[in-house]
Amino acid sequence: MRLFLQYAASGIATGCAFALVATGFVAIYRVTRVVNFAQGVFAVIAGMLAYTLLGQGVPHVLAELLAVVAAGVVGVLIGLVAIGRRGTSPLASLIITLGLGIGSYAVLILIWGDQPISFDGFKGNLDVGGVTMQLQYVLVVLLTAVAFVALGLFFDHTYLGRGLTACSSNPRAARLVGIDVTRMGLVAFGLGGGLGGLAGVLLTPMQPVSFNSDVGIAISGFAAAIFGGLLRPGTALVGGLVLGVAEALVAGYAQASLQSGVALVIMLGIMIWQAGRRPITADEDSA
Amino acid sequence: MLFRLVRPWSAAVVLVLLLPLVLPNALLTIYIFIGLSTMVVSGLSLLMGFAGQVSLGQAAFYAIGAYTAGLLSRDLNVPPVLALAIAPAAASLIAYVVGLPLLRLRGHYLAFGTLAFQLITLSAIGEARDITGGDTGLTAIPPLGIGPLIVDGPFKPIVFGYLAGGLALLTLLFNQHLVRSRPGRALRALATSEAGALAAGVPVGRYKLQVFALSAAYAGLAGGVYAFFVSYIAPGSFPLVRSIEFLIMATVGGLGSVWGSAVGASVVFLVVQVLQNLGTLPGMPLRAPAVFSYAVYAAILIGIMLGLPQGVVPALSNSTGLVRRRTRGAPK
Amino acid sequence: MLEVQQLVVRYGAATALDGVSLRVERGEMVALIGPNGAGKSTLLNTICGLLKPASGTFRLTGRVAQVPEGRQLFAEMSVEDNLRLGAWTIRDRDPGHAYTLFPPLLQLRRRRAGTLSGGEQQMVAVGRALMAQPDLLVVDELSLGLAPMVVDDLAQHLVRLNRDKGMAVLLVEQNARLALELCPRAYVLEAGRIALSGSSTELANSPAVRAAYLGAAMDEVV
Repeated sequence: MRLFLQYAASGIATGCAFALVATGFVAIYRVTRVVNFAQGVFAVIAGMLAYTLLGQGVPHVLAELLAVVAAGVVGVLIGLVAIGRRGTSPLASLIITLGLGIGSYAVLILIWGDQPISFDGFKGNLDVGGVTMQLQYVLVVLLTAVAFVALGLFFDHTYLGRGLTACSSNPRAARLVGIDVTRMGLVAFGLGGGLGGLAGVLLTPMQPVSFNSDVGIAISGFAAAIFGGLLRPGTALVGGLVLGVAEALVAGYAQASLQSGVALVIMLGIMIWQAGRRPITADEDSA
Repeated sequence: MLFRLVRPWSAAVVLVLLLPLVLPNALLTIYIFIGLSTMVVSGLSLLMGFAGQVSLGQAAFYAIGAYTAGLLSRDLNVPPVLALAIAPAAASLIAYVVGLPLLRLRGHYLAFGTLAFQLITLSAIGEARDITGGDTGLTAIPPLGIGPLIVDGPFKPIVFGYLAGGLALLTLLFNQHLVRSRPGRALRALATSEAGALAAGVPVGRYKLQVFALSAAYAGLAGGVYAFFVSYIAPGSFPLVRSIEFLIMATVGGLGSVWGSAVGASVVFLVVQVLQNLGTLPGMPLRAPAVFSYAVYAAILIGIMLGLPQGVVPALSNSTGLVRRRTRGAPK
Repeated sequence: MLEVQQLVVRYGAATALDGVSLRVERGEMVALIGPNGAGKSTLLNTICGLLKPASGTFRLTGRVAQVPEGRQLFAEMSVEDNLRLGAWTIRDRDPGHAYTLFPPLLQLRRRRAGTLSGGEQQMVAVGRALMAQPDLLVVDELSLGLAPMVVDDLAQHLVRLNRDKGMAVLLVEQNARLALELCPRAYVLEAGRIALSGSSTELANSPAVRAAYLGAAMDEVV
């Protein structure tokens, strides 16, 4: 039982990080109807940047914060290329984000090489009812909760947040009302970048990242995001937790090498199940 | 003006007949790989251009074909040529089975789905250590041959040159006929609007599945030839990047354009080859080849999507009349 | 207030507007009638900046807001959010403006816009457009899908706005009778061209208009 709780605890922590990545997918998809294949890249960039900053003597919290902001900026840049040009269809934008993700490999290798990188997070353990939990886990869960609350407040209680929701709800009407839908899309990309970046600085102390870690992170994030049909962040949170715990349990009780398969199988299962219930026209993207 | 006199098919046949004899070994190897890529890409191009489906997992079928041919000939003593023939059948059978649930997905869901399929396939190959040799790979694949005639030694590249070139040409020919046929027109309807095609009575599900299986067969056959050519395969020979490479080749050539697959495969392969050579020059940092490759893939993918979303061949054919473009298979 | 000169708008190879010219003066109520597919919505969307003309010009002095065809509300958002979003381009976001004009909306303000009746949604759509405090209100198919009484009520609101606030209105309508009753001047748009224009009385009495749009039988006309 103790072992189970131990696995569950680490699973909840990674699950929170997945949920953040998932919310990044959701934020971008809701406003632009584009699935950002480069979503995992934000996490990797932030993790590596934080590593460098910490190595340069920048104190914790500040280093991570800067890394997250940088990831947000990268998000906007990616958004510019992916949706900046009017008339780019969502599927073309998807392929563009795929291309940008691959391009990031070149940049990451140039700057940080190809070896895995990690840094120390919150060191120390917490004893809860006989279960030893890393403090880092607690930090992850807390920060994720804060992030979700902040997002909720942003979308429901700020004018900009409502503008973003309007773009998601009815892009044509949004334009009529004077909203620059493309600019809102960039805001969404920036948000997605920041969320991915936050996931990255939280994940890296727990699992080292290298230039191509983004695929696994993106897959886990996407798998969580589709719990809510790519539209609901709350459900994505649930999805992330389920995924994180499932992976931890498989890694613990079965084999570590099967861990990545969990996200893949769950993702496939959900997508195929959902596809059976969706009418064809719902998927035809209107460019 | 000379171009208009030279018909593409005649030129292609001449090249396929001559090049293996004329090219030096190093270039011949490149030619062979281009031929194999053309086969895979032509299937992908059909899938994406006509059936309108994005696949990020073609390398999985390439791998399946390679492992089928390798395992059958090495461990089950199946005659190599027969093993080579079974490879596409195995790949397309798996495609059929997997496609039944998988092809219910569309757009970005299918992209992730095929990506997942690729990763799962590689994982499975890696896990089945006893059969496949796991991550260390399958060594000592016997050479291709019929009875006493074994393809080995100095003539091996030439024979494989004819094999790869000839098979590539055959797949292009087959595609050309397919595209012009009634099922081909129905496929084009699919690419534009699935709901519309359904309404018009096109058996959408069946056609998608068949194109998927066909593209897998092409990839499987190419994979089989690859296995016999290199004699050693491992999961690491079929990384995700390979699937992306195929995607890029298809996009460059023009989705749905029959000749586009050959053009795309050649252009991309040669560009990457040149860059890798550049990257290994003395004085270049260790990781230069990889950096160059990734940068070029990114640039090509983004450039094509933004600039020439229909690909190079349709764009060219519009201006020179060099290649008679058969269809408008632009990605949706 | 609005001056359109020889506007040509294309969708790919198809020409939706083929050299359209029209005028709306300050404080005027002008109708634009014509059959489905004539290009009326295209014209409106171009004026509101959603489409770019292939050639020709239009000049707008002041702000324009559109009440789009089919309401086009933000269905998952509340009535109040819908209204406040109408003021995206200006500083004053007080929904009170809309509530004064349409008192029923005050009670409905927390309801999700998608759950309202057609008439209520139309009120929200008009209210949202008015939140931008426009000088020209463009109304696309006000009457579509609404009961006649509801339409009349809304129409009276528009007339009052025009009269009391001097707001210009361009009323695009398939219901020609309604449009000609409300607006003193009208244009007829057919197949991307202005076929007829003039005072509403003239047009209402013109045999061609009566036959095509006002339900008079051909033999009656001749």
